[in-house]
Amino acid sequence: MATDTTTEVAGGFGQVSRTVGQLFRYLLLAATLFGLVFVTILLVYVANDAIQPLTADPGWHLTFFLALVVPTLAAGAYVYRRDGEAFQTGALAIGLAVVSLMFSGGAAMIFADIVEPLTFLAFLVAVAVPGVVTLAVVAYDDRIPFLGQFAVTVAAFYLSLFGVPGPLGAAAGISSVVPGVFGLLAGVPLAPAPWLLAVLSVGLPLAAVGGSLVARDRGRRARLFAGAGILAVPLAGGIVGPFVGVDPLPATVVASVGFVPPIVYAANVAINVPRERVALLIPVTIIVGALVGAFAVDLAGFAGPQSWVDWAFLTASHSNTAEDAGFYPAIGGSILLMVTVAVFAFPVGVGAAVYLEEYAPDNRFTRVVDVNISNLAGVPSVVYGLLGFGLFVTYLGQPDGTVLLGGLTLGLLILPIVIISAREAIRSVPEEQRAASYGMGATKWQTVKNVVLPRSFSGILTGTILALGRAIGETAPLIMIGAPNVTYSLPTSFSEAASAMPLQVYAWSSLYAGPNFYNKVVPAGVVVLVAVLLAMNSIAIVLRNKYQVGD
Amino acid sequence: MTENTSETRAESDGGTTADPTNDEMVIETDVAGATDDRDSTATPDPIIRSRDLDVFYGEERALDSIDIDIPENRVTAIIGPSGCGKSTFLRCVNRMNDRIDSCRVTGELSLRGKNVYDDDVDPVALRRRVGMVFQEPNPFPKSIYDNVAYGLDIQDVEGDHDEIVEESLKRAALWDEVNHQLDSSGLELSGGQQQRLCIARAIAPDPEVLLMDEPASALDPVATSQVEDLIEELAEDYTVIIVTHNMQQAARISDKTAVFLTGGELVEFGDTEQIFENPEHQRVEDYITGKFG
Ligand SMILES: Nc1ncnc2c1ncn2[C@@H]1O[C@H](COP(=O)(O)OP(=O)(O)OP(=O)(O)O)[C@@H](O)[C@H]1O
Ligand SMILES: [Mg+2]
Repeated sequence: MATDTTTEVAGGFGQVSRTVGQLFRYLLLAATLFGLVFVTILLVYVANDAIQPLTADPGWHLTFFLALVVPTLAAGAYVYRRDGEAFQTGALAIGLAVVSLMFSGGAAMIFADIVEPLTFLAFLVAVAVPGVVTLAVVAYDDRIPFLGQFAVTVAAFYLSLFGVPGPLGAAAGISSVVPGVFGLLAGVPLAPAPWLLAVLSVGLPLAAVGGSLVARDRGRRARLFAGAGILAVPLAGGIVGPFVGVDPLPATVVASVGFVPPIVYAANVAINVPRERVALLIPVTIIVGALVGAFAVDLAGFAGPQSWVDWAFLTASHSNTAEDAGFYPAIGGSILLMVTVAVFAFPVGVGAAVYLEEYAPDNRFTRVVDVNISNLAGVPSVVYGLLGFGLFVTYLGQPDGTVLLGGLTLGLLILPIVIISAREAIRSVPEEQRAASYGMGATKWQTVKNVVLPRSFSGILTGTILALGRAIGETAPLIMIGAPNVTYSLPTSFSEAASAMPLQVYAWSSLYAGPNFYNKVVPAGVVVLVAVLLAMNSIAIVLRNKYQVGD
Repeated sequence: MTENTSETRAESDGGTTADPTNDEMVIETDVAGATDDRDSTATPDPIIRSRDLDVFYGEERALDSIDIDIPENRVTAIIGPSGCGKSTFLRCVNRMNDRIDSCRVTGELSLRGKNVYDDDVDPVALRRRVGMVFQEPNPFPKSIYDNVAYGLDIQDVEGDHDEIVEESLKRAALWDEVNHQLDSSGLELSGGQQQRLCIARAIAPDPEVLLMDEPASALDPVATSQVEDLIEELAEDYTVIIVTHNMQQAARISDKTAVFLTGGELVEFGDTEQIFENPEHQRVEDYITGKFG
């Protein structure tokens, strides 16, 4: 009877029963939260094992509670009540700082152990020079036919990167006559200290971008000034680093990649958005609170938590004793894998998406391709591993387990996801925009280049980052292609074998060397992996929100 | 002769229309009459001319044997009830119909004597000569400047783009409102301003013909009258074809009026004054005075 929807006359209108509807509603809510709650509980357990917050002195907790948590909550509440948008800006600043710092760690790793700063700088210059040539040629495009432009561009890149005669000549047995810009610079015998080179190659571009952002409305001189101010950050990093026990090179990179973006963001808010200046209260409170807390804890001698995720864990390699085991080579391997995956899957996936959405005729072939891309997205990852092994190792004779092989295999794995999400983004460009462009006499290429891609770009990027998040956690395909579970040093090139974070965790979990591996080191690895994943996803989410506001 | 026409029409139409056959015959006869009439008052120099133009969406006929001569440097209004094929006709002129897969066009539509449906006509080149303004304002999410300069950039128009952008914005009666914010996004303008921005964008590369599909339907009365003034001014240099549901608007701004009625027929075409004061066909009069449609 309770489910009866008849009305009873009361107060003139009566009531309509909604019991079933309410029940249904709460069942749906339960279904929504089910997975989320269980994963959260699991992660809390894992984080507890890895970080062991309860091993800290109560005084330690109390100090940080008073110095950091209470002021932060107060500042947050104050800013939120004054201006909801400013609160978002402040939260974003903190998020940006955390994410930048994490990425700066990765970048520092790359510069310390994988790419020489000189090589990187030489590469940058060798790409920039023909880039400028290309721009110049394009500016005169009414006087030079397309094929001429194309030839000049290709020649400029080839000469700059490889010199004369380059790999083409090498294939024909002619040795190098004139080195390219890259060879010339990379071979300079008397180069300044590596950290100064890092300032040049990483800090300078960031300073240029940041300077023009911060002082965008204030003329050339202000922009130069702001840029110089920003450049001081990596310089200071390199100089101060050695005094606090960090090598100057990683210190420079961390200062550039980790400190510059949040500083630029904060400076931009402070200078250009006076209405939201109050937002900066939040990051300032957090930074000051953390410093004060750390200082006070040190003074009072309170011990912090005995976290397994500590500096040693992040910078050491695997060891047979749990206390000494570290994650460093696995982190580096994952970074290199992700770079390879992105370089491969992004252009191919976006290209396929643009073709399918804008060019493909509506015929049976297209529909077959369409359906099968969706199918590919559901193929188990082990199968992709098998494919990678069969294609690259057995058929093309590549060595197993290399970064290149792993990257290509994972790239194949996420390719359908990249394609599907990029198509979604491209499809969300309103038809009226295309009509407007075609109506102006634009060709298909011009419409795609000027209207479709700019409008869908952040959506495409969001989808790609989420797909990369999938790739970074994959284990099975890497096992299939023979990637080593454990490596003791970072790979220094793409043709070297490398482990990856999930592989290393898997190796620890199957290593019966002691309960600590099982109970402590594995959770520590999981915490790092999940933190990287969350950082990537948060970038994607911020991008997506910005993109939706843009609509 | 008129008898003949009506018979063949009735035959060729087969049983596709549900209208009483009698009615249809009368109207068809009248169309033939209208054609004669038009010939006698023929404008010397039609820039757009269609003969026997049929358009189908799949199996469905949207335009039925349209014959029309649109004079140069005049405003031609197209009026008619919803679904009678006005937009379809407009899209024939710049071949935007090519973008609709199910759409099929037969017959002839020529621009300055050249049939635009000939195999050697590049629709992209055609659209550079025939600008279009759509029913809903559709500026790009780019700056105001870049919006107006879009056609100049993609068509590689010679000359000083800054000057052309300024000139176009002035002609679209928008310059005074936006000259201090050319770098801000075109989407930040009001609907009426956006539509005038779209008009500026369409006229910047200096097309020969301007097609406007209900350009004022999304605008308030003030913006509407601004756009109307603008159209009258544009007609000094351009051939404007404008679709509208607003009779007063058609009467006010156009030199010639074409009345399409349901079924995709062009029922009457002639000088605007004559159409509105003394239409030849009862159905046209009924439509104009609001008795149906
Ligand atoms: N893309 C399309 N696909 C299929 N049929 C279409 C398409 N566009 C228009 N039609 C059909 O063609 C006929 C004419 O449509 P059209 O849009 O030209 O009418 P209209 O006179 O512009 O109407 P309105 O005043 O409502 O804009 C209608 O019957 C419509 O259903
Ligand atoms: Mg229409």
